[in-house]
Amino acid sequence: MSTLSERDRIALRIQREVGRFFGPLWIPLIACALRFGFGYRIRGVRELRQRFLALRREFDGPLLICSNHLTMIDSAIIATALAPSWWYCLHFSALAWNIPERRNFASSYINNALVYLVKCIPIVRGGDRKDIAHVLDSLTYLMGLGEVALIFPEGGRSRTGRVEIGSAAYGVGRIVKTLPGCRVLCVYLRGDGQDVHSDLPVRGDQFDMEFSCIEPTSEMKGMRATRDISLQIMNEIVALEARYFDARQ
Amino acid sequence: MSEQEIFDKVVKILEPYVKNEEAFASVVKETSILEDLKVNSARLVDVVLAFEDEFDIEIADEDADAVVTVGDAVRIITEKLG
Repeated sequence: MSTLSERDRIALRIQREVGRFFGPLWIPLIACALRFGFGYRIRGVRELRQRFLALRREFDGPLLICSNHLTMIDSAIIATALAPSWWYCLHFSALAWNIPERRNFASSYINNALVYLVKCIPIVRGGDRKDIAHVLDSLTYLMGLGEVALIFPEGGRSRTGRVEIGSAAYGVGRIVKTLPGCRVLCVYLRGDGQDVHSDLPVRGDQFDMEFSCIEPTSEMKGMRATRDISLQIMNEIVALEARYFDARQ
Repeated sequence: MSEQEIFDKVVKILEPYVKNEEAFASVVKETSILEDLKVNSARLVDVVLAFEDEFDIEIADEDADAVVTVGDAVRIITEKLG
């Protein structure tokens, strides 16, 4: 049962429309900052975008992006890798909602306003279970409206630099379980200069990114299904990571 | 099953997940599982599933969200056991 009231739903739709209205300003601005400010490049970006756009043409149902997590701006880099800014301005729902850690991104009024604008719903990791459930319900609601969302299933940045199945947070399973037909875009992103986690990738870093789309389901019930689905997603990301390192041996 | 027996079993299930041994040594119903015992929030699902196995009950996501203290867990399990 959703924890969202009608007022919460209206507030989320308003947030989406405010973000959409200012989208032509902030979307290219972020893309330019990543490309020209930090000098980041993504290998094979053209092919990645073609694949993602083909995926969206073929499937416009609920889509959850799940990725490994090494830096605080992974979600922005993933968004840039999947489609160009102008396309997001025309297909705003395809630009993923994020749930950043409140202590990192929404600690002041200005940060709060920015986070609101750029399709984010701050969360306190390890915080009150009901608050976390409320955020997950918000994402589920938005995905039901055709919005794409992004979650890092490890919960936080990987402390070892590798995907840690033991850190799996099961919120992703809960969302997928709630939305019939939900597909998950499993993503592995890593910069050449990224050994372990950090706040930002090193300036001028080049990234490799790979993704695969799965539709996890479970015969189990209740929280077992939640865990089962989450682990399927984690295993897929681990497989992408193995492929990344195998290719470098 | 008495409430005390449920409490004892809950505490035993929690033990491997506890990171604050000091708080665990003086655990009471009001002890917060996440804040006091420092159980990793991601592991709370595993804890709840262990409750399901131990007591042969099914706990819904919404019920699990209501588990904040050890006493909450005992209350929900008691309710499920009817």
